[in-house]
Amino acid sequence: MGSGAWSTDVYRAASAYRKATGASAFAYSDGGARTVHPTLDPGGVAARESRDSTEHPQSLAVAVLFDVTGSMGGVPRTLQQKLPQLLGLLLRKGYVTDPQILFGAIGDATCDRVPLQIGQFESDNRMDDHLGNIVLEGGGGGQMMESYELAMYFMARHTSIDCHQRRGKRGYLFVIGDEMAYPKVKAREVRKIIGDDLDEDVPLRAIVDEVRRRWDTYYLMPAGSHYAGNRRILDFWRDLLGQNAVELDDLDAVCETIATTVALGEEACDLDTALADLRDVGAGDAATTVSRALARIGADRSPAVRGTLPAASGHADQVTRL
Amino acid sequence: MNPVASSVAGDGTGRHVAVVDLGYGDAGKGTVVDWLCASGPVDAVIRFNGGGQAAHNVVLPDGRTHTFAQFGAGTFHGVPTHLSRFVVVDPLALAGEATHLAGIGVPDALDRVTVDREALLATPYHRAANQAREIARGADRHGSCGMGVGESMSYALAHPDTAPRVGDCLDEGLLRHRLRLLRDRLTAELGPLDAPPVADTVTAFTAFARRVAIVDGSWTTRLLRAGPVVFEGAQGVLLDEWHGFHPYTTWSTTTFGNVDTLLAEAGLPGAVTRLGVLRVVTPRHGPGPLVTEDPALRPEERHNGTNAWQGRFRFGHFDAVAHRYALDVTGGVDALALTHLDLVGQYRLRLCDGYDWTDRLPVGPPGDLDRQAALTAKLLASRPRYTADPEPDPDGWVAAVEAALGVPVRLTSHGPTAADKVARRAADKVARLTAAAGR
Repeated sequence: MGSGAWSTDVYRAASAYRKATGASAFAYSDGGARTVHPTLDPGGVAARESRDSTEHPQSLAVAVLFDVTGSMGGVPRTLQQKLPQLLGLLLRKGYVTDPQILFGAIGDATCDRVPLQIGQFESDNRMDDHLGNIVLEGGGGGQMMESYELAMYFMARHTSIDCHQRRGKRGYLFVIGDEMAYPKVKAREVRKIIGDDLDEDVPLRAIVDEVRRRWDTYYLMPAGSHYAGNRRILDFWRDLLGQNAVELDDLDAVCETIATTVALGEEACDLDTALADLRDVGAGDAATTVSRALARIGADRSPAVRGTLPAASGHADQVTRL
Repeated sequence: MNPVASSVAGDGTGRHVAVVDLGYGDAGKGTVVDWLCASGPVDAVIRFNGGGQAAHNVVLPDGRTHTFAQFGAGTFHGVPTHLSRFVVVDPLALAGEATHLAGIGVPDALDRVTVDREALLATPYHRAANQAREIARGADRHGSCGMGVGESMSYALAHPDTAPRVGDCLDEGLLRHRLRLLRDRLTAELGPLDAPPVADTVTAFTAFARRVAIVDGSWTTRLLRAGPVVFEGAQGVLLDEWHGFHPYTTWSTTTFGNVDTLLAEAGLPGAVTRLGVLRVVTPRHGPGPLVTEDPALRPEERHNGTNAWQGRFRFGHFDAVAHRYALDVTGGVDALALTHLDLVGQYRLRLCDGYDWTDRLPVGPPGDLDRQAALTAKLLASRPRYTADPEPDPDGWVAAVEAALGVPVRLTSHGPTAADKVARRAADKVARLTAAAGR
């Protein structure tokens, strides 16, 4: 063994490069799987947990659930390529110290084989494995509706997050999709997919209110997906979530949008600073998309003290102000 | 004018910046490159010497740290790294380093590295041979890092046509053939080597080639003709293979020589601001001359402990004679970065302006190693003279170093993070940076 700082073990290196190759992170799905991977099965799960630890004393839960049905076209695959950067973006600028990220996928409980897939909260790149195990549906209801309400039900009643329980701070839930939710969480579907015995259906607005008590909830609607730009769908989500329903004109900027939203929510910085940070890490194109998507959210947040790298001098004049 | 160059060189002399250590290494190149990449748009960091044995520590304000060995020290700011053909590339250590970066929030470092196909490979066989030789030297160790970098360079000198290079990783059969040849030659010379089977090395190296972008020499030219680039040097000028104090040197050109070559090939000779890095105490890792060594100097070193191959981390007072020699052999610099100024006041730091026999070491023609060995013998018998101690505050030190070396100090470092750096150009610039750092 040499004295260099890094391991020169030949077997570990081979494994690291193979793992990092990631030609298809959706290996499970591409292998022809049509049932939920055991690690992503919401059935019989008491709770997905995000916990403080000595290593991560200030855990902050961030959940990203995306629509994997046919109407989304190539979006799920793009998300699969982009989402592994999210942890790095959150940490790189010190917006949060101990993010714990959960990925999940939403289908249509009325016709899909895999209507809900929910990973675990992870604070390292194990979350990429969950992404890789997600089954892409490809089908689609054709009714401009997917089972977002079922996913919200799970997040409302089957998650346990220390940031909220110990510190009264809500987690962040991002739902990425391009259709409307069904008007009710159906007791029958909950029983079949999650395993709870409900006496009656839960109206959509009730479950939205419930999930928002613990989760600062956002709906991101990407351009380039089937119904994107459809005002009716955006209005539907604006009616439920207000300004937290956001239209995203460039999917490449999805991680930057999520990270910036969390930074604003944590009052780690204001929008201008966050955009300058993006340019700072070479994500200048993303900054334009993010500023367009988040202008409404960032506008009413006041600047706050931030303890991170100094903003690059000379960048401020390049920031797009909306 | 590139803002990065202007920030370190006043009027500046070039669009790119080259960072070189004017001592024995460990002066803080990593933290200076990190600051440059935090301060302005930088298209790429280009490495132009050394290999996986580099250890450039960077500390972020949030406490995350990384010891950059092959990735450029601008990686935390998203700046891509290019390993030029002068770097000895260690694909195994690169994987280990990428894994650590992923764990601290940089999952895509491998996506942002390009490697010149002509670069030599450091392999487990070089490494095992390197270590076998150092062990055989016993007490007379040269201070090799045991990473096989020098072994790879010397093997390539002896066998230029069959030495394994990065591009070979794209051709499994060729790679296997060259690795076998290498292993067999080294085994014949040194006996059995403690290294994995060739087949396993081939597996790892071809996986490396599938994952990392391997480019030809025109890539460097493209980078240099586009935006500002930071050249990140490894080790220090006083360890240079030709001008260092033989035999306590490295198998690598640690001057600006390779930078000048790459710029000339791109048709941009001289388009660079040369920044020399010095530390208020002169450190040295391992054996060899250190005229001003003072066992009473024990600044806390978070990252540089004793290691089995290089031995103890030693400290001497600021050795202006040695640094003057470094400036002479490398053709001078446009500006200096002076690091570890936070130590001023904590220790009685002195500045050696002359030895008992001279205040300027003679510069010989490159390659005359007998002459260099004689100089080494002379240095090992030299005694430092401390004529006037600098005022014990940062300004006093900056003034004393500028006077002793005749070069302006354009950047000072007062702590581990980019926020602890102050550019000294004009009053307005200092004020702006101080304000930014305090935000």
